[in-house]
Formats: sequence, C-alpha cells, structure tokens
Amino acid sequence: MVSLLASRAQRARTSVHQPTRGYRVFQGVNGVILTLVVLVTLYPFVNIIARSFSGERQIRAGEVALWPKGFNLTTYKIVFHDSMFWRNYGNTVLYTVVSTVIAMVLTTCYAYVLSKKDLKGRGVLVGAAVFTMFFTGGLIPNYVLVTSLGLKNSVWAIALPNAISVFNLLVMKAFFESLPSELEEAAEIDGLSTYGILLRIVLPLSKAVIATMVLFYSVSFWNSWFSAYLYMDRTELMPATVYLRNLISGATTGGNAGAGTDQLSQVGANIQAVTIVLTALPILCVYPFVQRYFVSGVTLGAVKG
Amino acid sequence: MKNTGQLSRRQMLSAAGFIGLAALTGCGGGEDGGDAKDLSKKQNGAMKEYRVGQQFKASESLSFSILHNNNPIYPMKDGWLFWQEVTKRTGITLKPVAVPLSDYEKKRSVLIGAGDAPFLIPKTYHPSEVAFVSSGAILPVSDYVHLMPNFLDKVRKWKLEPELDSIRQSDGKYYLLPGLHEKVKSGYSLSFRTDVLEQLGLNLPTTWDQVYDVFKAIKAEHPDKYPFSDRWSTNTPFPAAALLSYLGQAHGVKAGWTYDNLSFDTKAGEFVFTGATDAYRQVVEYLRRLVAEKLMDPESFTQTDDEAVQKLLGEKSFAISANPQELVQNYRYNLGKQVKGAKIEMVPVPLGPAGPVVMGGARLENGVMISTKALKSDTFVAMMQFVDWLWYSDEGQRFAKWGVQGTTYTYSGGRYKLEPGISLMGSNPGAPKDLQKDYGFFNGVFTYGGSWALVSSSFSTDERRFQDAMAQREQLPIDPAHPLQSVEQEQASLWDTPLRDHVTQNTLKFVLGKRPLSDWGDYVTELKAKNMDRLVGLHNTARERFKKENG
Repeated sequence: MVSLLASRAQRARTSVHQPTRGYRVFQGVNGVILTLVVLVTLYPFVNIIARSFSGERQIRAGEVALWPKGFNLTTYKIVFHDSMFWRNYGNTVLYTVVSTVIAMVLTTCYAYVLSKKDLKGRGVLVGAAVFTMFFTGGLIPNYVLVTSLGLKNSVWAIALPNAISVFNLLVMKAFFESLPSELEEAAEIDGLSTYGILLRIVLPLSKAVIATMVLFYSVSFWNSWFSAYLYMDRTELMPATVYLRNLISGATTGGNAGAGTDQLSQVGANIQAVTIVLTALPILCVYPFVQRYFVSGVTLGAVKG
Repeated sequence: MKNTGQLSRRQMLSAAGFIGLAALTGCGGGEDGGDAKDLSKKQNGAMKEYRVGQQFKASESLSFSILHNNNPIYPMKDGWLFWQEVTKRTGITLKPVAVPLSDYEKKRSVLIGAGDAPFLIPKTYHPSEVAFVSSGAILPVSDYVHLMPNFLDKVRKWKLEPELDSIRQSDGKYYLLPGLHEKVKSGYSLSFRTDVLEQLGLNLPTTWDQVYDVFKAIKAEHPDKYPFSDRWSTNTPFPAAALLSYLGQAHGVKAGWTYDNLSFDTKAGEFVFTGATDAYRQVVEYLRRLVAEKLMDPESFTQTDDEAVQKLLGEKSFAISANPQELVQNYRYNLGKQVKGAKIEMVPVPLGPAGPVVMGGARLENGVMISTKALKSDTFVAMMQFVDWLWYSDEGQRFAKWGVQGTTYTYSGGRYKLEPGISLMGSNPGAPKDLQKDYGFFNGVFTYGGSWALVSSSFSTDERRFQDAMAQREQLPIDPAHPLQSVEQEQASLWDTPLRDHVTQNTLKFVLGKRPLSDWGDYVTELKAKNMDRLVGLHNTARERFKKENG
C-alpha cells in the first residue's frame, strides 16, 4: 500500500506541479510515521529528565512517564555536592578537548596528504590506515604497548591510541579530493608554500567538514569510557562516563551471582537519572548548533553529478 | 552513553588466549628468584615468629599493590581511615589500583594477561581463578599457606578441608585464598505480604506445599492478579536465579545461581548430570504448576528487578524473592511509604522433599589470588603474613568490618555498636558520616566470612531471625574433589556451556508450558546428544584419579 502510494507520488512529483491527492496522502502517512519515530526516540530522554526531578518512591512505583512526579531538586543538590562526580566530569572535558584537538590535527594532515593523487606510495598509506579497520592487535598487546610507553594514567593513553578514526579519515580525504585542484595550482603560482596552501586556502574552504569531524570526534570521546577504564588506575582520573557506568550497571547487577549479599544496596534511581542528564546535557546542547554543518559536511565528500 | 567500547566475546577470547602466551614469556624469566620453595631470601620485613592471636607488624615499612573493586555505593577515597590504620598497625602501605565494580573481571583478565597485575587480587569468585591457572600467572597459594597460621587455624577449627579440596586443581593445589565461614550463611528466600495473609486467615508457610496453598488462597481472593511475581532474572545467566536456587536446595539439587552441570550422587557414589536428575525435574514440575495455575507471573523469568518490585509495590503481586537487605531497605521501606498497613516478612526457606538442609560448599567465599610476581619479591613472606592477618585473623577481620574501637564502634556485651554520628547501610539515618563511604570499613574487598559471632554481629533483627532458623539445618555433604587437567578442562568447557544453555532454555520452556513435561525423556536424549554422558564420564574419571593421587 505504502509503496504503491510512493510510486504514485513519485509520478505525481515528476509530471504535475500541483500536488495530487495521492501525494498529499503520502506526505500525511510519511509525517505520521516520522512523528512516531521522533516520539519513540525522544521518549527515553524525556523520561530520564522527568525521573531526574522525581521522588525515589514515585520512580520505584513506576509512576513517572513524561512529567515529574513528587517534584524535588534534592537529588540534583546531592549530585552537585559529589566532588568525585565533578572531578570526573572535569576529566571528561579535558580528555575530550585534548583528544579532539590532537585527532583533528592528525586526521586533517593525513587526509590532506592522501588526497593528493600524485603522491608516491599513496596506496600503501591508505592501505596502512584501512588495514587497522579490519585487523587489530588485540586488547592485551595494546595494553602492553600503552603501558610500556609510559602513557598509563595520563591523558595521552586516551588521546593517542584513538587519534585517527579511519572512517573520519576517509570522509575527509574524499572531501579534500573534491576540492578543485585549480585553486591550489593558482595559489602555488601566487607563491604559497604547501603548508600555506593547506592553512590559507584548503582549510578555510573546509569549514563544513571540519565542523562535522570535530563533532564526530568530540561526541565519541565524550561518550567513550573503555580506554579510560583500561588505562587509568585511580578513581580521580576516570571520566564521568566510567562513573556513570559504575553507578548504573555496577549497582544493579542483582545478587552478583548469588554471593556477597551484604554489599547489595542500590544506588537510587533518581541519582542515576540525574547523573545521566548531567552527562548527556552538553552534547545535547551543542548538537543543534553544529547540526547544520553536519548534513552538508558528510555529503560534501560524496560524489556529485 | 552507548557502551561503544564494550568487550566483545571475541576480544575476551583473544585476551584469554593471550594470557597463556604472556605467561609463557613471563615465566621464562620467572625462575630468576632461585628455588621457589626456598623462602630464606624473601624474608624482608617479615616477622620471625608469627602466630595466631599475634598482631602482624612488618619489621620495616613496606608497600604492596592491590586490585581494588570500586563499589559505587562507597567509592574509594585515599583519605579513608582504613588505609591509614592498616599502615599504622602493620607497617604496610596498600597501593590500590581502583577498578570500577561494573567491569572488574574484565580488567582483572587484562592486567593478569599483560603481566601487569598487582600482587594482591582480591574479590575473586571461584571458579574464575581456574582460567589463569595454566598460564602460571597466579600463585598456587596452597604451597605457601604454612606462612599463614590464622588461615590454617580456621580451616582446622571449622573443618573446612573438604571445602578446600573442592577448589583444588588437577595438580592438587589451590590458587585462591577463599573467604572462610564458620557457618553457612543463607542469603535468599521467599517474602510474603503478611497483612494480606492475615486478612485471609493464613499462616506463613513452612513447606513448599503450604506455599502452593497460600498462593491458591490469595488467587481465590484476587483472581485478576498473580500472587507471586519474581525477580533476579536479568543480569544473571539463569532466570529467576534466586528462586530456583532455594527451591532447588529444598529438593537437594543445585539450580539457579548455584546450578552446576555436575552433582555428586552420594548413593550411587558417582557424578551425575544435574539437569537430568529426578530432583531437578521435581523443581521444574513445581514451578510449572505455579505458572499453569496462574499463581506465578510468567514474566517472573524475564522481567527486570525493578519491574518485579514495582508489581509488589503496586499490589499487583503479594510475594517475591528476598534477601534480608532487600526486604528491609527496599520492600518494607517502600511499601511503608506507599501502601497503608502493608507488612512484609521473609520466611526461612520452605522445606521440600530433601528435608531441613542447606547446600554444602557455601562456607567458602570469594577470595584473594596472588600474582606469581609476588613470589620473586624479597618481601614475599611478609606479604603472606600480612594477608593472613588482615583477611584471616580475628583481629584483622574485626578491624576490616567495624573499624577502630572507640573511633568508629564500641563493643560491649558481645554487641558491636557504631559510634554516634556514624551510619551503616541506612542504619542511622541523618548521621553525618558513613562507615563505608567515609571511613572505608565494611568494604566488600576486605570484609567477608569469619566466625559466626562476627558475621552475625551486623545482622538486623529480621536477618538474625532468618539466619538463626537456617543455621539449625543440616549441611548437605559437598561434592568430592574432581579437578580436571588442562586438556580435559578445555574439552569440558566446550561441552559444558551448550549443555548448561540447553538446561536453562528448557527449564524455561517446561515451566512456561511451551513444552509439555511428557517431553522430559526427549529432553534427556537431547542432552545426551550434547555429550552429557561424556562430560559426566570425564569428571568421574577425574575424581577417581584425584582420589588415587591424593588419597
């Protein structure tokens, strides 16, 4: 039914300027389905926010859906006074900023070099990057490497091993390749050096893709917990994500396989909700503003007609 | 928020595989420290004479690294009185490596595999130490327990040798220093809304037949509700893990959390396959009847703990599995706020065909592994003495649990009382300090097991009543030792998991009525096709061999 409508709608779009009835029905159905998708996607967020303002009892009784019940701010006060949470939060900011800066510099340079078709050994360089997409040294060799380089318990353990995401690299490379080479030739004739071309011609023209990559990287660093968990030995070095993960999955693993029953109290459901809200908030705030680059940025690299 | 870095099964496998490799290379240099048995050069800081009842004090200040399971309920702090007091009393400074509780086991595997493990690796549950045995990264501690007078004393006093035998490997050694209990401490049982029972003129049930009758009566009164909706079905490999384990206990069979493919049949004198025994079938039949007659919520086997508790609080169900903490801190506390006049009590595990028994083998707790690297250190003897004092001496156990007398607690007339202003797990609401969070005592890493007097010293009234009733019961004999050799171990684990999965899946199918119980014979045939008999045979051979070699 829907596909029939869709094909009719397509005909309608190509042949007539005035939208036909079928096309309008299609748009209506489309709108309804997409609205449902939006609702399903938004519901967990709204629910968590509502929970964060609700009383523990109401959450436990399953009364909280979209609107807070038993409104209270004390949970926020409790979490705001938890110095370890803020310390870890600060770490998250630090790790994200440092890692994103390093990742952007390295990825941009690598991608720019790879975009030069006349580069000797280009295939090998691309291959080296792509190889790591399919094969990895494994967990323990990585751990041994990072440890023996003395990176443990420092921001470098998080920033350096994850500095180049091959996917992001390839997107950027495609984007640089799509820039007209005449521009760079003209710049060269006007006397710019290789670095000058990159910094003064190519990068200013690449704001969209750079914004997108910054977003990609920062979101993934913000959300990541595994490297920190693996390479950090002290609680005060952990990012907020590890704190959160420990709070949620650690505190609710039931009987811990039936043993150790005296360690079995639960972290309040509202404390979990508040922590989740606070951790997700910055990303939620930044997203709408970077979003406009987002769509154009990724498709810019794509092949155009 | 996504767990993008979640370890995949493949990564874990490769990690496990690499442990072997790392250990091979690690072991190459491992014998530099001279003869492993010769401890004369490893006496730095050790006490010449160290006996039971004596305070351990290192003759020079030393420090040992320790893996610390960081519980979100009491996150580790450097300023804990616990650390300072340990140093003051023993001269040992502990250097903790903090690992979030949520992923403790994974990081432990990585650290051991990478040869970067701290000397002391506590919070290890048997049999997870077995995975590291073949790598040689973990010390066969049984060779060195002669350095631990308190440990030996408690094993002898409480007759724990058979329990220790049960954790021995095929070389006759054990690799884990387990927590030792004087008596079995029971954890879980059923809890009922007693006010609802009173209205119906019912008593708390003491047998499983009575449990059935009580559910029947509640159902008659509330035909649109399920009398019983259970929990502990998620985050465990077994659905309704607590219920199955204590229901199984009443039938004398290991099920739920305690499930093990192998059980020792004392009458036949050999191992049999648990999931195919008559007792196991009876457990399944019992639950089948509850579900079929709509006395038990079929969602009990799939829902989250929160959902189950919400049904209880919303009066959609009237019974649920409990442990003493959950009973008081969760059910009773929340019911009190939500349902007027609600009362809830936990019963001693109802009796079944097996009579008043508790499972054997429950007197060992999680414990401490020791890295093989520690043996190369010249402070090895002092470290073992220290471990013995902190984890196994009466004084060390009391200290780890209650803290410093006069500062955190007072002791009189056989009772421990927290100092005013200190609370423990909500015992003293409004107190400015918490024994766990602010002082670092009562920490699961250091506190478990011990004499019944110490273990029961922190019981609430409910728990004391429950535990006293359970302590009257007879302990079933524990399975004889049947350690596999490493090649056998690999073979066994290939068979073990599919069999266990098949048992779990079909337990659910039978209970939920998706498979008729008349299919039981077919089910056993399927188990045979999955190498049930070969697995059982392997373990019976191992038992014979162990008996021959170790008497």
